[in-house]
Amino acid sequence: MKLSIQHQESYSRGELLLRTIFGAIYIGVPHLFLLTFIGIWSGILSFLAFWVVLFTGSYPQGWFEFQVKVLNWTTRLNATFYNLVDGYPALGVNGTSDKVELSVPYPETLGRGLALVRMIFGAIYVVVPHGFCLFFRSLATLVLMCIAWFAVLFTGSYPAGWHAFNVGTLRWMLNVQLYMSFMTDDYPKFTGKELEAEEQAPAAEPTATQETPESDNEA
Amino acid sequence: MEGSSTPIALPQPDEIPKREREDAMGAYLMMFAAWGVGLPLPLLNLVAAIIYFFTNKKTSRFVSFHAYQSLLTQIPTSIVNASAVAWTLTLFLKDYHLNTYEYADLFWSYIVFVVLLNLVYMVFSIVACIRARKGRFYYFWVFGRIAFARYYGPSAISMEKKEEKPNLPPEGF
Repeated sequence: MKLSIQHQESYSRGELLLRTIFGAIYIGVPHLFLLTFIGIWSGILSFLAFWVVLFTGSYPQGWFEFQVKVLNWTTRLNATFYNLVDGYPALGVNGTSDKVELSVPYPETLGRGLALVRMIFGAIYVVVPHGFCLFFRSLATLVLMCIAWFAVLFTGSYPAGWHAFNVGTLRWMLNVQLYMSFMTDDYPKFTGKELEAEEQAPAAEPTATQETPESDNEA
Repeated sequence: MEGSSTPIALPQPDEIPKREREDAMGAYLMMFAAWGVGLPLPLLNLVAAIIYFFTNKKTSRFVSFHAYQSLLTQIPTSIVNASAVAWTLTLFLKDYHLNTYEYADLFWSYIVFVVLLNLVYMVFSIVACIRARKGRFYYFWVFGRIAFARYYGPSAISMEKKEEKPNLPPEGF
């Protein structure tokens, strides 16, 4: 998994105030309204994907790409709410952003046994330890967000170290989410840093489509 | 050859990409959508099948065929299941006791019928699911023919021609 959220040279103070006062209305309401329905659909696909992985050992690629797009959307939204980027987050699963980029490589095969273990014991060996660490990290993120808010308001810039830390929190959460939704077999690391292996790994393009003889005929 | 007698040649398993086979397989899994949500609402399965059909209908004929067949089979099953849920809820809400309920025999017969129907439907759907993943066609009774006619029959060609209709100026211009 590769997540990058651009650290801007300068941040708009006006946008920050607008987002703080009216963000819940003009960003939260439309996004969360749509994400509720998309989230239900995504949940259904995740549930069904578990069974598919259990019986076939692979995650249906179309579903995988849809899930990555949904994750992209929620990450765009989170980045905006965390004040990590300026601008209005693109609405919809096909929306893109030049500042927020999430790519997840498609795993050709996934462990069936591991999927079963994760379903039964995932809460114990993933959710509890990561949840414990993420709870404290989220508190630190919240504090940094508050201080960074003032930093942006008075200086127009977001301290790079704080930005990296808050992006790290999102990255860590996403790693746990990917593992628990059977989209990867790699146990999430207890860090928010981008690992070297991940940086070098070729990431699958979530919007890539495959040309088929059938579609050629139809064209 | 299998597809020689149809207006549109049938794709063979080795010609269908893995992704399309998986998408076709997914159509039959929509019968478990309500389980995913955790609500005993059979109509959710129907809604899921409709969404799946509309989101995949332009993927390819093979996927569209399976998604449409799954949707068609989901309609009667969902209606029968929803009726069973509604009847059971009515009994609970009106505080009927099955010992004194005048249609108790009919009710239990219907419940047994619904359970058997679902079991049969589940078996056939899983078979269809496996066949679709292998890149094969599977035809349900009645619904298979309807779905096939829509995507591989003569009407499929007329639909294609309709789509290819060129832009024309207004009449008499």
